[in-house]
This record gives sequence, C-alpha cells and structure tokens, in this order.
Amino acid sequence: MYRGKNIQELREELDKKETIPEELFDKANRLAHYFQDDYNSFVTIIDKFKYKDRDSKLNGIPYALKDNFSTSGILTTASSNILKDYVPVYDATVFKKLKSAGAVLVGKTVLDELAMGGTGTTGHTGIVRNPWDKERMIGGSSAGSASAVALGIVPFSIGSDTGDSVRKPASHGGLVGFKPTYGRISRYGLFAFASSLDHVAMFTRNVMDCAIVTDVLKGKDINDMTTLNDDGKCYVDLVDKDIKGKKLFYIKEICGKDTYKDVDDKELRETITKFHEMLDKLREEGFIIEEVSMDKALLEAIYPTYMCISCAEATSNNSNLTGIQFGPRGEGNSVEEIMFDARTKGFSELIKRRFILGSYILQRENQEKLFLNAGRVRRMIVDKMNEFFKEYDGMIAPCSGGPASKFDSTSEKLSDRYLILENHLAIGNFGGFPSITLPFAMINDLPVGVNITGRVREDDLVLNMANYVEKVTGLKDIYSKVGDIDV
Amino acid sequence: MIAKEKLKDYANKLMFDMKDEEYTTLQEEFDIILKQMDLIGNIPNISSVDPMTFPFKLEEASLREDEVGDYLTVSEVLENSHHQVNDQVKVPKVVGEGE
Repeated sequence: MYRGKNIQELREELDKKETIPEELFDKANRLAHYFQDDYNSFVTIIDKFKYKDRDSKLNGIPYALKDNFSTSGILTTASSNILKDYVPVYDATVFKKLKSAGAVLVGKTVLDELAMGGTGTTGHTGIVRNPWDKERMIGGSSAGSASAVALGIVPFSIGSDTGDSVRKPASHGGLVGFKPTYGRISRYGLFAFASSLDHVAMFTRNVMDCAIVTDVLKGKDINDMTTLNDDGKCYVDLVDKDIKGKKLFYIKEICGKDTYKDVDDKELRETITKFHEMLDKLREEGFIIEEVSMDKALLEAIYPTYMCISCAEATSNNSNLTGIQFGPRGEGNSVEEIMFDARTKGFSELIKRRFILGSYILQRENQEKLFLNAGRVRRMIVDKMNEFFKEYDGMIAPCSGGPASKFDSTSEKLSDRYLILENHLAIGNFGGFPSITLPFAMINDLPVGVNITGRVREDDLVLNMANYVEKVTGLKDIYSKVGDIDV
Repeated sequence: MIAKEKLKDYANKLMFDMKDEEYTTLQEEFDIILKQMDLIGNIPNISSVDPMTFPFKLEEASLREDEVGDYLTVSEVLENSHHQVNDQVKVPKVVGEGE
C-alpha cells in the first residue's frame, strides 16, 4: 500500500528494495488521475516517469509542485488564462534542487489565480475541493498542493506563502505546512506576487518530513540575492531535541480563553477551548506558555496592511503579463491595444479587483494614507513581535476560528474573527519569521491547525517545538481516506 | 461611494478593463475595503515610524560577480511568443505615419 505513506516510510521501503521509484510514481500517478475529477488538485499530471538516481533522503520520492514555479518544458500557468499556454524555458531553483535530490514530480498543482486568493476557487481550471469534505474549501492559494497531500497522493508538496497561502490550507487539510525564514529557500523561478512577503513553503504529513524537505531546499542561491547564507545545520538532526523550558506566548486578543465568549459561534468556541486544553498538555511536557497582550488596533490592521502591501506590489510584479513575449496575444492595432486586450481577457474578475485596489493604493493622493502607513503598521507589528521574542521562543495560536468553510458561506468582513483570528498568520510574512502549522484538533470530524511562529533564522527551533506539539496532539500522518481505490 | 469612473480610470491605468456590472460589484466591495483600510489610520502616532519594505535587515545580501554562463538562446526566448519575425517578437508599427 502506497497511499498515505510519509517520506520516511517510503524511504525505508526504497532502501530495503521493497519497491522502486517507478512503482511509487505509477501509484501516485494513478491516484492523481483517480481523484482529479472530484478534487481538481492538478493543472498538469505528469504521465512519463522521469528520474535520476541520487544520494538523498528524497531520492525516488514522489511530490507535487504548485503551478507558479517555473519548470522547463512543463506547462506552468499560475492557474491564470493569461499564462494558459506558457511553457517555461528555465527551472526554478526549488525544482532544480528537488530534481538533483532525485525527487520525482507527479504534477503541477492548482492555485488561486496568480497566487492571489485564499479560497482555492479562482484557478482557471476550476475549484479545488477539500478532501475531508467536498462541500468545503481547502483554502488557498496553494490549494492543489494541499489537497494532493491530504488525499494521500503524494507525501509532500511545494507551495508558496505570501499571507498564509500554505499555513492556512494546511490547517484545513490536516497537514503540516511550513514556511521557513524569508530567504531560507530561494524564490528564483517562483512567479512573484508580493516580493517582500513571498516565501517558498511546503506541505507534509508530519514535522520530521518537513525537516527532511527543508534540509534539501535551503541555502544561498546566486540567482536570488535575498537568500540567506546556509546556516550549516541539519534540521533532521535537531528536530527531536529536548524542549523543556522553551517559552511560548499566545496573544490574548487573538485566542484568549474569554476573547470570544460573547460571540455566537459554536465552532469558534470549541476551537478556543480545545486550543487551551492542548496548551495545558504542552505545559505538562515542559513548555512554559504565557498570555501576553497586544494593541487590538494593530491586530485589526493586519489584514488591511497585508492587502495594501500585497496588492500594491502585485500590480507592479504582474505588469510583465502583456501577452506579447508570452501568453495569448491580444487583438488591436497598436502595442497598447494588444496589451490592453490581452490583460482584459486574460485576468479574471477577482484578479482585476485586486489590481484595481493596488492601483488605488498607489495613487499619489492615497500613497501616504494607505501604502506608506501600511508599511509603518508592518514595522510596528514586527517590532512588537521581536519584543516578545526577546523573552519567548515562539508564538502559538490557532490558525483559524474552526474547520474549513463551506463554499457557500459568507463571513462578516469587519468582525474580530475575520480581521484578527482568520488573518493573523500574515504576521509571519511581515517579519519573515519561520512559521509552521500542524493539526491539533478534529472538530466535527474536520481538522483544525495550530501555528507556531518563531524568531527569524531559528527554523530549527520552530521545527523542534512543532515536533513536540505533534507528539502531544497525536495527530500525525493523517489524511482523508475518501475514495474506493486500493493503491 | 467611490465613483465608477474613478475605478475605471484605475483599471485603465493598469491596461485592462472590466464589464460594467463588474464595476458595480467592485463599487460595493470598495465600501467594505475602505472601511477595513480605515483601520490602518486608527493607529495612533504612526507618522514617526519608518515604513517597512523588507522583513528584516539582511546583512549578507550582496551582488554576484559578473561571470560568463549559459543563458537563454534567442530561440528559447522567442519560444512562447506567437508572433515572430527575423528572430524578434513582432508587434504592430510603433512609429505612426508622418512622425
């Protein structure tokens, strides 16, 4: 049986010659096709086995890659009509490293168009469904990468995370989702959304697997001047260190015991109750966990700050999508008309709305009030976090106010739950902090994730602490067993 | 409520347009968005703070040396363009008659 096995289990089988890479690929390929109509994880499923034998923990292991990473000779659409026929001529560093490690690409996964969205519903090939409940979203933007792992098709996948695009779907999919420190993994060949917030990130089904993948991907890249020098650490070796005495904080205004006591929302209250029950167990394991307070006005400003910065950066980053050098050519009698037509036809309504917002923010009359003030709020939030990090090793919080939403649900966009609890993960992007999500509770048989965010450059400690949380929750290697297929 | 013409102007500056009914939806959405944006203005004494444009101070950032390497060929560069002539991307005449 292949489905649902983690990297370490597959590694052992390969090393013992109980299976071979091609067999694993064939099984992953069968699963990918089997679930495609119902869950739509992939833009492209690779049908031809391509692999080179390497000396690495990922040698022969199947994986999926978000369709906004450049892959030479393989269609890469960013789930947008404006790139629907784009075949890159170079490899992203991440893809190159995985190939060099002998990992085997199974497919390119669906995302929210151009990675701008959090629902998994805006890709040009249709919506992605949550493997735990088809009527619910998996979240986005790395929707297909999340569902491919949550369905047990592959043991790991790569995504990108600009606001919470891996760590939120990980929560909805019962997965581990890890975004290392900004610059730890090269962004070369990742289609830029908001460059100062974009991170390469990954999904696995346990924390140790995350350490394995990060060890392969991290390091300096001359093609990305924002990459960090390699820290020389092997995260796999450090993931199991004793955590006794490590100090975590949670922010009362995000997830205090009584913060939502007057809110009529059963799922939300159950999430908070289970979160505090888990904190008690973590204390028994040796963690010191304390409550801190943060100015609510700053927390409420996280989401608008994120929108201002990301939409403004996105309007500029996506100005190269003209349909002239690549993408479907527009019609018209001048270069301007051709571009105008290509962009009008190529972007969906949602993307256009985000771009217009970016354009609004960057207008001379709004720059001070919105764009520059957003940058100021970003600094204030990051400074406050760094102040907490002087005393504490990490922040802990639920990733959302409950399991994944249904497709037809609406949220009150000005409520505390929406503005604070559903959007606080963007703090990790503001400051480039290493940040990991892992499942901590099942509510109505659906997974809910907890997040740990730590100091910049201390990726090993974040993985180490998450590994202990995983031991306490016992929610390790879970996936949806939906479907009648025995592979 | 923000005027539809303004929204259209912002869109046109970014080289695209939307359908009329889509501007109406956006107009309604902008109401909420602007209320959310107002939350940024609620933070007291922010004018003295330097806007942050990068997550943290990156001490090791450096420019790489210029080195001879393998780069894309002309045919690779043109591969995704659907209109080519003489190893170049073909576009309509840029210089108009009589100019």
